[in-house]
Amino acid sequence: MMPPDVGVVATDVAWRVGYRWILKNISLTVAAGTVTLLVGGNGSGKTSLLRVLAGLARPAKGSVSCQGGVGFVAHHSMLYDSLTGRENLAFITRLDGGHAPARVDALLKQMGLERAADQRMGTYSRGMTQRLAIARALLSDPGVLLLDEPLTGLDEAAAQIVVEVIKQRRQDGHAIIVASHQLVELMECATDIGFLVSGKLAAWEPVNGRDAGAVMQRLRDLVADG
Amino acid sequence: MVAMRVPSCSGFGIWWQMANGFFAVAGAIAIKDLAVEWRTKTALVSSLVFAILVLAILYFARDATAVSAFEVAPGVLWVTFTFAGMLGLNRAFLLERENHALDGLRLTSATPHAIFLGKMIGNAVFVGLVQLVSLPLFILFYNVPIWNRLPVLVLVMAMATLAFVSVGTLLSAMVVRTRFSEVMLPVLLLPFLVPPIVSAVQVTWRILADRPMAEMTGWLSLLGAFDVIFFILSIMLFEAIITE
Amino acid sequence: MNRRESALTTARRGSIITVLALAGFAGVYVRALMFTPIERFQGPAQKILYVHAPIALTTLFAFGVTGLLSLLYLILKDRRLDHLAASSAEVGVVLSIAMLITGPIWGKPIWGTWWTWDARLTSTLFLFLLFVGYLVLRDALTDFEMRARFSAVLGVLALALVPFIHMTVYWFRTLHPEPVLLKPGTPSMPGAMLVTLLSSMAVVITLYVGFLMQRYALSVLEDVREEEAALELS
Repeated sequence: MMPPDVGVVATDVAWRVGYRWILKNISLTVAAGTVTLLVGGNGSGKTSLLRVLAGLARPAKGSVSCQGGVGFVAHHSMLYDSLTGRENLAFITRLDGGHAPARVDALLKQMGLERAADQRMGTYSRGMTQRLAIARALLSDPGVLLLDEPLTGLDEAAAQIVVEVIKQRRQDGHAIIVASHQLVELMECATDIGFLVSGKLAAWEPVNGRDAGAVMQRLRDLVADG
Repeated sequence: MVAMRVPSCSGFGIWWQMANGFFAVAGAIAIKDLAVEWRTKTALVSSLVFAILVLAILYFARDATAVSAFEVAPGVLWVTFTFAGMLGLNRAFLLERENHALDGLRLTSATPHAIFLGKMIGNAVFVGLVQLVSLPLFILFYNVPIWNRLPVLVLVMAMATLAFVSVGTLLSAMVVRTRFSEVMLPVLLLPFLVPPIVSAVQVTWRILADRPMAEMTGWLSLLGAFDVIFFILSIMLFEAIITE
Repeated sequence: MNRRESALTTARRGSIITVLALAGFAGVYVRALMFTPIERFQGPAQKILYVHAPIALTTLFAFGVTGLLSLLYLILKDRRLDHLAASSAEVGVVLSIAMLITGPIWGKPIWGTWWTWDARLTSTLFLFLLFVGYLVLRDALTDFEMRARFSAVLGVLALALVPFIHMTVYWFRTLHPEPVLLKPGTPSMPGAMLVTLLSSMAVVITLYVGFLMQRYALSVLEDVREEEAALELS
């Protein structure tokens, strides 16, 4: 059983496709009320790690445990273009065993989608779709929020909304892991940084007041070492 | 501290809740599928047009002096239902491929069985609609007197459709992950349709020929057994398709 | 290199068994043509039974093996079960082609037409198409874990389908000669013919085993090569 202040625990997780190991011996602990930034180059395994943590991919070895359920925001919205924003969210709540129109409305408001709520998701911009995807992830009020490159293709205003959501969740005592290349906007809310190099967790450190540039340099050093 | 949920009055309470949840999820998925389809109607219209064309073409595909419409009618009916129905099966899972929606379903607490049932119900309604429109046209084109035996015919249609959508939904979940899903589905599905369709045709011609029910019970039992076994198998095997 | 060596050994043993079976086949051939009496009603053409019937039964056996191994794979997730199931399906498809060819060859002198929709031939035709579909599905999936999983599901479904196909087709009027061996009571074949038939059965099963071993070994070797390629990349 997990102590109440821990959000995510992964123990010796390994994952492969065919015979290629994509993730190797990953162990991590993310405390509740923290935001971990996952950095690594292309193909380092960030998306794979998040998918394993979310339960979408089963690790060949090791185990994962997330306290209080998982919300996952990925590159794709995981929703339906022909349905409206509101209908999409209502559908997801029904799958989780509830009928919660109030919650749907509240999230639409929080994400700034009230006016677009009754338009088909296919008409949304990239920013709006991303915000709807975040709303979807938050519907079940998960203890753990995982975000994979959430700021890609977003303008400043939309990116700011995302950062606000992350800060709010952290304040509410939930755990967040964000995989991203775009560190500048996220540094202000991050508490820890995980460095993923070739499928291994090369380092896991608190932010320690560093800025984006310093973090990127640290990553480059770790890649050179590995 | 893990909170213990005290069971409500009896074990039955929990089962009722679980069953409710299960059917609620399946229903939500089926309704969502039908809502999405209704907004585009592409697959539905295509299937309907296909059915009407097949009915018409097969009417002319014989030597009318040697073979009456009556004689070919049972076969024509079921060939039409089968092929028109197959056009609609893949849409159920192709929908989940857009935007990786299937991952979204897996992230909720919906079980694979409930997801399968929802998809299957959606397919059944789709196929049922196609049948509903093509049956009167069939009666019209082929001039078959079935009004007095309509209940039995509807029963056979329901049973054969159940077989069709059970296996069809499962197989379409598999083939949409391949590149040639439109071709692969018939290739894999048609052998499975031999028992139900043959049974259905056998019962149908006996209905049209006004034969006694006793002659049909054998085939109906075969169809019924097929339905039960393949529905159970399909709903259980779906989990292996959807989890990685 | 352990897996590769054991696969090569299996292949070698398999080819020896195949050669023995083929030699046995030649022996059965000679015995059937020269040393077995001619059947009263059907004449010399009946002798193709000694080839046709064992192949038919072995085909069914091969597909049954595929179905059972598929079920086991879904439970145990051992990749070897997948290799074996797929190999059995391939050998079964080849055997069913042989059966679909010998059937008409038998049928033509006796029934006057090359193809009749008789129960057993029709069943085999559907099973053949079903398992060709199985192989086509495997071909269309590149990720081996998904391929193993999906073909296992199809294999289990196919296993359940086989009795239904038989029943459906059988309830059609059949032209096939009365089941001679597989009916209750003593087989109604005279001794000499029975011996030929049973020896042929043994030979065909041995042939199946030989082919199966070689095909399985090939699957394992392909797998080993993939593993080595992945190791080289990392």
